[in-house]
Amino acid sequence: MTKNRIGSLFFLIFSATYFYYSFDIRIMQVGYIEVMTARTFPYYLGVLGISVSILMLILSFVKFDVDDIFDFEKFKTFDFKKGLYFVLAMLFYGYTIRTLGFIIATIIFLIIGFKILEERNLKIIIFTSFGVSIVFWLLLTQVLGVYMAQGMIFDQLIGVQK
Amino acid sequence: MMEGILEGVSTALSTYNIMMVAIGCFAGTFIGMLPGLGPISAIALMIPITYGMDPASGLILIAGVYYGAIFGGSTSSILINAPGVAGTVATSFDGYPMAKQGHAGKALAIAAYSSFTGGTIAAVFLLFAAPALAKVSLSFQSSDYFALMVLGLTAVAAFAGKGKFLKAAIMTLFGLMLATVGTDGDTGVSRYTFGNMDLIDGISFLLLAMASFALSEALMSVIENKKMSKEEEKALKTNIGSLKLTKAEVKEMAPVVGRSSVLGFFVGVLPGAGSTIASFLAYGMERSLASAKDKLKFGKGSIKGLAAPESANNAACSGSFVPLLTLGIPGSGTTAVILGALLSYGIQPGPTLYTDEPALFWSVIVSMYIGNIVLLVLNLPLIPYIAKLLAMPKQILTPLVIFFSLVGVYLITFNTFDIYMMVIFSVVAVMLRLIDYPMAPMILGFILGKMMENNLRRALTISDGSLNFLWERPITATILALTIIMLLFPLISQYFSAKIVAEEDR
Repeated sequence: MTKNRIGSLFFLIFSATYFYYSFDIRIMQVGYIEVMTARTFPYYLGVLGISVSILMLILSFVKFDVDDIFDFEKFKTFDFKKGLYFVLAMLFYGYTIRTLGFIIATIIFLIIGFKILEERNLKIIIFTSFGVSIVFWLLLTQVLGVYMAQGMIFDQLIGVQK
Repeated sequence: MMEGILEGVSTALSTYNIMMVAIGCFAGTFIGMLPGLGPISAIALMIPITYGMDPASGLILIAGVYYGAIFGGSTSSILINAPGVAGTVATSFDGYPMAKQGHAGKALAIAAYSSFTGGTIAAVFLLFAAPALAKVSLSFQSSDYFALMVLGLTAVAAFAGKGKFLKAAIMTLFGLMLATVGTDGDTGVSRYTFGNMDLIDGISFLLLAMASFALSEALMSVIENKKMSKEEEKALKTNIGSLKLTKAEVKEMAPVVGRSSVLGFFVGVLPGAGSTIASFLAYGMERSLASAKDKLKFGKGSIKGLAAPESANNAACSGSFVPLLTLGIPGSGTTAVILGALLSYGIQPGPTLYTDEPALFWSVIVSMYIGNIVLLVLNLPLIPYIAKLLAMPKQILTPLVIFFSLVGVYLITFNTFDIYMMVIFSVVAVMLRLIDYPMAPMILGFILGKMMENNLRRALTISDGSLNFLWERPITATILALTIIMLLFPLISQYFSAKIVAEEDR
């Protein structure tokens, strides 16, 4: 399998879906007499996307390029598990930033991040996660005047901040 | 014009703005030094900070970050042979061997002086070229702009490198498609929102830039699990040596810097070319101009081989601001991100920027020069200390980069949906990086998408729905002819390289 083939298949599916949904774009009543509606540009982009991906797909069968071969051996050396953990940590951060508030969510996220990457020095973990979260929060709220909500959990426990 | 320049000078020379250039240069140098994080990531990371500033100061800070990131990239190229940016790859050809010979300080000084001279010459060129092009472009109509955007996008694909033309082309289309998400500004119809209110305003460019560059780069470093080699660690710990250059060395590099700066500036002006091509062209040019004896030194620590790409890439950075400021069309991924920042400040770059916002226009040009001075006077002596930051463990740095990327976008809208969307885009970007698809064309397509559609709509409306607008105006026709040549460029270059190989085999 070549990289071009994988990519062209991905873009073929994406472009075809994009093209299909272009028909869902509403055309206003007056739009029917206009030279260009909200659908025109996406429609042609979809057509172009499909054409280019098909061309790439064909070329991936016709033309042989050593650099284009997907290196499975190199692929095996990648640590996808760590990558996945980080993705989950980011999603968790997105969920907790409003519920737990900026400081607690950030401290948890950074500790998880350092742990995923196998940082063993507990002092560094604690000092960096607490330090970065608090200093950044102070910078935002006290220096730049950005309002940061205290977190929904605190709203529940001690009432909504005035 | 003089009044505008003076206004720009006084804006750029205010204490606050000088401080912004200095901060930008430092931050850019540090971020640019980190392998993988180039100017696009550096600028994207700094944009949220600039939202609270006035546009001139914000743009001045960004210009400083841009220069700093290029300089930072050169530093990691020279010290540890790990170019942070593609534009500084050529720097490592002779910079790293020089550092290995124990002359890291000298190599850094040559890089800094060459960058400074390149930036200075380019700033002078920019001073004249930008207003001239702005005046010419006042006569441009929608059809010309549409053609220019097509040219810009095609050029990015054409210059993407061997075998990458179609990859870059499909990535450009991908960016254009993403730009159509949200409410169509002209008709008010929502497109590809699937009933999700969070998508009504479309995808934020900062979100996309941050996800596809800074965040995906950080994720890639997690996946690749690369550790700093012993040799790299040793290089960071050893003394970099003297920063002084001898008279003979200065004499040797002076003509090289002059030639490469001029070449770099003009290559930078071309859409799609940018600092990478400028630095390689300058390196190639100097090697072919060198005497047989000097030619042998190339790749082994040649002063000429280091000075040429360094002056060219810095000059190209300034050059790339010409189409951005005068036509509102970015020629590279970096300038596309800067354009996105400008648009979010409510400023539409183009020919009228020069007349409507002279303070902003000129202050950016002047601050570029100040940025060069800051790099030379402040950053160069501090480089041994800044370089120590490179030794910061990855397990600490990566979570911090991810945190700043996520928070940078979240703080603009305070919408957690943006964080989820960033995660999705970064995962897609990582997958595409694994199969060698370039990200810069996507950002360029995304930024130009809406403008392109608007100009096409206007051109079609003016011509009553006919496609005649494509060849009726000489400017449009010329630009489109250039686009066709660009499209054929990969075929032409392939033909010539095949011919050269055949001749060599004979």
